[in-house]
Amino acid sequence: MPRINSPAELEEFRKDVISKRGPNKPCIAVCTGTGCLALGAANVVAAFKEEIKKQGLETKVEVRETGCPGFCERGPLIVIYPEEISYLQVQPGDAEEIVSQTIFAKKVIDRLLYVDPITGEKIVHESEIPFYKNQMRLLIGNNIKIDPKSIDDYLAVGGYSALVKALCQVTPEQVVELVKNSGLRGRGGAGFPTGLKWEFARKSPDETKYMIVNADEGDPGAFMDRALLEGNPFSVLEGLTIGAYAIGAHEGYVYVRQEYPLAVENVTLAIKQAEAYGFLGKNILGSGFDFTVTVHRGAGAFVCGEETALLASLEGKPGEPRARPPYPAVKGLFGKPTNINNVETWSNIPLILNKGPEYFASIGTEGSKGTKIFSLVGKVNNTGLVEVPMGITLRDIIYEVGGGIPGGKKFKAVQTGGPSGGCITEEYLDIEVDFDELRKVGAIMGSGGMIVMDEDTCMVDVAKYFLKFLSLESCGKCSPCREGIRQMLKILTRISEGKGRESDIGLLMELAESTRDASLCALGGTAPNPVLATLKYFRHEYEDHILHKRCQAGVCEELYKAKCTNACPIGQDVPGYLSLVAEGRYEEAISLIYQTNPLPGVCGRVCTHPCTDVCLRAETDEPLNIPKIKRFAADMAKRKGYTVKLEKGKAKEEKIAVIGGGPGGLAAAYSLALMGYRPTIIEELPQLGGMLRYGIPPYRLPREILDQEIDFIVNVGVEVKTNTRVGRDITLGQLQKEYDAIFVAVGAHKSLPIRVPGEDLPGVKGGAEFLREVELGIAPHPGKRVAVIGGGDVAMDIARTCRRMGAEVTIAYRRERKDMPASEEEIADAIAENIELKELVAPKSIRRANSGLALEMDVCELRDFDRSGRRRPVPIEGAVITREYDTIFSAIGQTSDLDFAESLETKGDTIAVDRHRLVTNLPGVFAGGDAVIGPARIVDALAHGKKAAVEIDRLLALKSGRDPYAESLEKIKVTMTLPEVVTEQPMAEIPKLSPEERIKDFTAEVELGFDEETAKKECGRCLRCDVSWMAARDKSMAVAG
Amino acid sequence: MSKIVLQIDGRDVEAEQGMTVLEAARSAGISIPTVCHNEKLEPYGACRLCVVEVQGRGRTNLVASCLYPAEQALAVTTKSEKIDKTRKILIEQLLAHAPDAEILQNLAQEYGADKDRFEKEASFCILCGLCVRYCSEVKQNNAVGFFDRGATREIRFVPELAAKVCWDCKECFALCPTSYAQAAYHLTEALAFPSASSQLSSAK
Repeated sequence: MPRINSPAELEEFRKDVISKRGPNKPCIAVCTGTGCLALGAANVVAAFKEEIKKQGLETKVEVRETGCPGFCERGPLIVIYPEEISYLQVQPGDAEEIVSQTIFAKKVIDRLLYVDPITGEKIVHESEIPFYKNQMRLLIGNNIKIDPKSIDDYLAVGGYSALVKALCQVTPEQVVELVKNSGLRGRGGAGFPTGLKWEFARKSPDETKYMIVNADEGDPGAFMDRALLEGNPFSVLEGLTIGAYAIGAHEGYVYVRQEYPLAVENVTLAIKQAEAYGFLGKNILGSGFDFTVTVHRGAGAFVCGEETALLASLEGKPGEPRARPPYPAVKGLFGKPTNINNVETWSNIPLILNKGPEYFASIGTEGSKGTKIFSLVGKVNNTGLVEVPMGITLRDIIYEVGGGIPGGKKFKAVQTGGPSGGCITEEYLDIEVDFDELRKVGAIMGSGGMIVMDEDTCMVDVAKYFLKFLSLESCGKCSPCREGIRQMLKILTRISEGKGRESDIGLLMELAESTRDASLCALGGTAPNPVLATLKYFRHEYEDHILHKRCQAGVCEELYKAKCTNACPIGQDVPGYLSLVAEGRYEEAISLIYQTNPLPGVCGRVCTHPCTDVCLRAETDEPLNIPKIKRFAADMAKRKGYTVKLEKGKAKEEKIAVIGGGPGGLAAAYSLALMGYRPTIIEELPQLGGMLRYGIPPYRLPREILDQEIDFIVNVGVEVKTNTRVGRDITLGQLQKEYDAIFVAVGAHKSLPIRVPGEDLPGVKGGAEFLREVELGIAPHPGKRVAVIGGGDVAMDIARTCRRMGAEVTIAYRRERKDMPASEEEIADAIAENIELKELVAPKSIRRANSGLALEMDVCELRDFDRSGRRRPVPIEGAVITREYDTIFSAIGQTSDLDFAESLETKGDTIAVDRHRLVTNLPGVFAGGDAVIGPARIVDALAHGKKAAVEIDRLLALKSGRDPYAESLEKIKVTMTLPEVVTEQPMAEIPKLSPEERIKDFTAEVELGFDEETAKKECGRCLRCDVSWMAARDKSMAVAG
Repeated sequence: MSKIVLQIDGRDVEAEQGMTVLEAARSAGISIPTVCHNEKLEPYGACRLCVVEVQGRGRTNLVASCLYPAEQALAVTTKSEKIDKTRKILIEQLLAHAPDAEILQNLAQEYGADKDRFEKEASFCILCGLCVRYCSEVKQNNAVGFFDRGATREIRFVPELAAKVCWDCKECFALCPTSYAQAAYHLTEALAFPSASSQLSSAK
């Protein structure tokens, strides 16, 4: 190897390297970063080499083993130059085809290309893949272009020109100035201005100073420093050498954890090569400046990333932090002034020197400049390393670069800054990511870990996970950190086990504060962040665990029953009744269902079934058709005349009013009646049922079924006053005097306006009102041509109802079908009935036309992502369509009519309550259902009804000095065995009336129900994810007993 | 040594350059509680009971006074609601390990700490490090050291060294606020070199 003694020699040598390569020489770059190696990249490289040898192309085609470009999820990755063709998930078997087709015949192999999941388009060039396209790859971009074991490769892409500039063109002071002017802040986490740090070290009066690269990257899931050190160690060393020159140091260390063997190998080799070329050692590039670098392998303690602990570890002492001041810039390694920067910070330095501080400062936000590399991991489609400009929104990182949340799940939170960072919710996804903004919302930048979590995540579990990590990684020296983390972890553990106490949240806050404020180093100072952030944004989950012993996500083991049961607001024992149906024990099945659900036939037909969304079977083939099995069990019970045995409590005197006869009111009245009360339901309309009757058409929910189930509830012991509207026929105040307790469950029956000019014209109607009028038999005919604006279940109900009245119906929706809130099955059924679905149109105005109403609609296109995680529809300028209709329905949502509220406190359009106790501001008055949460699911209303009954009883029992009612449920024995074999079998489809048949009759039920054989077979698909839990619990009870 | 003046609890306190805030305060008769501090040893900053508030960079920070350098015109507060609250919960957490330690009981009384607030985890050692540091800094024996980290950190005697040097020293026993050092030593002795004491007793 030549030693290069001057900038001129370097440029000469560089020219030579580049000319030998030729710009058109084919090169197959294979990522051999740790991720791709784990996926078999070494075999891919070997296959290419062999193929090229076989074809005698050794001199004509280059195979280059490169660093990590970041898209680890799709590895092994290769890029073919000069065309920049990107192939993903390449296997050794593909080598022959790639060489003969792509290299020789210049043909692109389709099956190895990236396919855009949304458009289905195949993408040839790396830079056009959305994952890369939306990044700004100033640091990591070179990784795929160079072999990290070849300094010549680094020189070929312009390496070491920054060092030349520093050593030969500017003074050390000027280098410090340049870095200061760039606005670069430390990428290790705290974001201290790098130039300022250098200035302190420069001004420390000592002959001996040290430079350190902090490569003790320890955040779970973060690997950007590894990728840089493995993939482009020269840029780090070049930055370090520039820093040493600026500060006046002659010795440097790379402190790298030994769990990064490839990084250790590559940086060690890079140092050797740099020494051989004269970029390290004595008289670098003839400038008279000397600098040597040593690699030190850390033993993998997380706390050694803290700079004072790192120094102690480098000195051979236990890796424990010490107090600052004195800062390392004054008193660091071996008591000498020392400058420590993170790997990513160092690799920014050549960029700043090359392109100038103005360029660097032009990227980013006011307070944070340049780019930042994040490890984007967790529940996101494209995981890997992403380098983006500071100031990008979290939404862009997660949706544009990350491709959104997989499996159609909902985004829940993103944890930034590693274990001592914080989580950020949907509400804050539009903040511009930089050091200061993240801190404002309770998170930190940290070193750039970004863990995306979806709705299946339990936030108590998340906090527990990070605290567990920190409890093992705290050095244990100072008591606030060691003991504070220990106690917080203990509390989180007991909460996750359902043993939490109501005082635990307060205690957690207090511990978090003392740990944060009194700890010695930043590990303790930030350790409570996961607790504080989850408490700030997800306090209700803590409360669910503590007060209701419920982990909705079904993550916390001790609170786990079955995925479906945990997800169900009323906690139905789904696997239990599935098992009973499978065995033909129908009477027991219906009894088990009734233990938690008084409306099984209704829910079996129209529940939106959150249970199926989490069904474990979906990971094998498809989820179970749980609601339709419930319907089968309910229908079977009716057919065979089974009666459900009920245990009623002792008769009680107190009078209770339930305002509203919908599912919430019915559930409350049912539970209260079982407790021994005789509640009175007060209903405005002529019959009970609420939205079930006046919102859901009979072809979905036959009135016979609804009537039977309501009769059953009433017969348990419920008084009914229909045609009585509170606020008109009787006031809330009067009721308060007359009754000991009141439950308000008035639902949300008022359609929201569409807010366009002309919406007051006759013929423009609210959808919910229309459905009510149809049920009451007073709806005027909507005419021949009907438009329904909206995309939810109510929109489908209106459209299909009008269709049955003989109208031609168009559903106008501003996004795409896949974004519609209505269930896909409902949409498909509507389309099968010849209802037109017009996507991407938004109403603009309505005016009178020759015959009816002219609806003017903007044609929209989808742009960026909005708060719901869906792309925002934006009108295309000039693209307007006009159609004529007789009636136009608005079905974009509903709200509650709270005219009767008087002094009842409201919050927006809902009644203000304590979420856990459902108490309002008025003593003895409780509220629940849609009137409290806005239009929601039937099961939510049922859950609130039951909860209100329990709370009312608790209150009345307390007043009269008796014990609250204790529910005693009959123990129904369920077979607890796992299925022996699981063979692929899709979900059983429910048979339906043909579209031609069903649109003839308004009351003919569309879905026909399972026959016995199908139902049993479907039940047999259940994987019984409840079994191991039950087995474990029974075992522990046996031990305890 | 040049003199400096700092403000502690609103009072001007004269101190020497190089002193810590704790030293300055104590020299002026202002008391600050400590557990892990010992004048013969280097300041360590582990128990954090000596936390005080200092004004810096526009905000108030809690710092360990045993480590924080006294500076000219530094404004220090040694008693405040926040300081007391922090000390109280730290005492409560230490009491979970050593409920009967006298120094902790006295502090508990002073700060109204509840010794039953946290579930007992009677390890008896509160990891103040007095034994470890005394053995290292004063005796230069390193016969007792810290073992493991985080929640599982503990002190242990190194049997090979302890067998040689401890019998004639045992000076750390008196420093230990909980008597755990003595217990740990005897446990080590019983397990690793029982001959020493049994020989001795048989010689009697």
